[in-house]
Amino acid sequence: MSDSSSNLSSKWPTILGLGVVALVAAWALAFLGLGQHDHRPALSVLLGCLFWTSLLIGMLMLTMITRVFDAGWAPVIRRNWEFMIGALPVVLLLGVVPLAFLPDFRHLLWEWTDVNHILPSGHEVGHDPILQAKEWFLNEKFFLVRISLYVVFFSVLTWAMRHWSFKQDTDRTASHTHKLHAFSAAGIPLGAVALTMLAFDCLMALSYHWFSTMYGVWFFALSIRLALAATVILTYRLSNGGWLDGILNQAHRHVLGCLMLAFTVFWAYISFSQYFLIYTANIPEETFWYNIREFNPVTGLKSDWWGVSMYLIFGFFLLPFLSLLFYRSKIVPGRLLTIAVIIFIGGIVDLWFNAVPRQIVDKAAPEGFTVSPFLCGSLATDLLAIAGFGAIVIGLFLRSATKAETIPVHDPRILESINYHE
Amino acid sequence: MNERNEHIYGVACTFRKPADVFHAAEKVRDAGWTRWDVHTPFPIHGLDQAMGLPRSKVPRLTLLGGVTGFITGCLLTWYMNSYDYPLIVGGKPYWSAIYPFPVLYECTILFAAFGTFFGQFILNRLPHHHHPLFELPNFARVSDDTFMVVLEAHDPKFHVDDSRNFLQSLGGQEITVIRD
Repeated sequence: MSDSSSNLSSKWPTILGLGVVALVAAWALAFLGLGQHDHRPALSVLLGCLFWTSLLIGMLMLTMITRVFDAGWAPVIRRNWEFMIGALPVVLLLGVVPLAFLPDFRHLLWEWTDVNHILPSGHEVGHDPILQAKEWFLNEKFFLVRISLYVVFFSVLTWAMRHWSFKQDTDRTASHTHKLHAFSAAGIPLGAVALTMLAFDCLMALSYHWFSTMYGVWFFALSIRLALAATVILTYRLSNGGWLDGILNQAHRHVLGCLMLAFTVFWAYISFSQYFLIYTANIPEETFWYNIREFNPVTGLKSDWWGVSMYLIFGFFLLPFLSLLFYRSKIVPGRLLTIAVIIFIGGIVDLWFNAVPRQIVDKAAPEGFTVSPFLCGSLATDLLAIAGFGAIVIGLFLRSATKAETIPVHDPRILESINYHE
Repeated sequence: MNERNEHIYGVACTFRKPADVFHAAEKVRDAGWTRWDVHTPFPIHGLDQAMGLPRSKVPRLTLLGGVTGFITGCLLTWYMNSYDYPLIVGGKPYWSAIYPFPVLYECTILFAAFGTFFGQFILNRLPHHHHPLFELPNFARVSDDTFMVVLEAHDPKFHVDDSRNFLQSLGGQEITVIRD
């Protein structure tokens, strides 16, 4: 390891400490919100947690996919994913788990868990026939069991992907590669189920009347997009004074660029499919979800959420899509980095769009409810929580880098990866 | 092009090793040749750069096809549902970019595929039922164990004797003049 890269990883306690401070601040605001019966600061913590959960699940899936396909280009990049995914259980334990297990936060965020909560129709949640029909799935006990299962499942999977890969550095045994290959083959379908259910529970259930079978696929698409964007940003930094200096080449960037293009299209395909089917069928129990993201129910005019959805179409899909069509965008480091940053920011906006709008009971409004606005002070809390979780993830990533080789030197495909050619 | 070259397609020269043909290609490229080719039994990484080949123009034709397809889809759905026979289906507008999106999308894909397929067809100058190189007795060996550089007669730098000497200087083994 060169001096500059050990300098980089020795910064981990500082970065981790900053993350903890930011996260404590975000949690403090969430507790303050609890006193005023304001769900929004708690939602900020949930958003920060889910943003990094999504990104890390994406990296976990990419780790397993490249294992299963024996991708020759992957080993030098995959080692960084392995460093990152170690933070996944930590992120879940510091965010979703306390929010779900502390009854006050649970009732505030997941309204269906609070039987006394009053709906815009004037009824209590406990007497809602829609909830009663879904009760076999949406009940508090099963919900908490599922949340615990996600933590256990992702802990085991990330531990396995890291443990045998790191072990190979010291004992130089090729059989670890075969073991990880088999583990990944089982892990991909199980991971797909787990991330789908996690998206249902943590995001879709925030608005429990609404349902979409596309939701898990959307979450997967977002996860991979965020993971790839973060990988480009991370490898850019690591190839300028880090452990990938002189190792990351044009062909690696080209592969990451191609994957970013593919998953940009995939994300748009999934998001549009969900919208299109609901638009075509035009059933009120589905369309309300998009209506509160387009109109202000009091004035009937387009709300600021409409602007957010336009940003998603043009800023999160069209701009990265058109830029990535060009070969040079995928190989020139600065251009690829710029597109990755655009996707990274777009991912935050996409989570805002999916998680934040909700019907808030207001007797004075003609429809009986208003919609939580996009532009509000809580956006700063959201960014604080995202930064807090992010610094914790990066801190743990750098800590992992001090514990294992930063290049998987005894991976059977390491030479193929280092000499990877377009 | 001088008169005595008229019935000559070019000069072919064989090499025994990938590295030899690779370095020969770099020298031909540096000498400024534009109409020439290398034949190998398997892909050699980096040969494109060694030959100085630019990137393929096919993607541009794909994009052109895709844009044409998208516009065609828009015109098609607008003409049929909103202009020629205005019809309300499922309470949707006569025309918007949303309800006919599958049509727009499919037209984009179809025309992009046409652009790609016919684009490469034209750029590769296909169909091409015969090629003078097939007359070469040992040409089949470039799909087995031989590498070959062919300098074509319509390159402005081409001159039979000079080209033969040039190939010899590159370390070529068998040098053959190919007649049309």
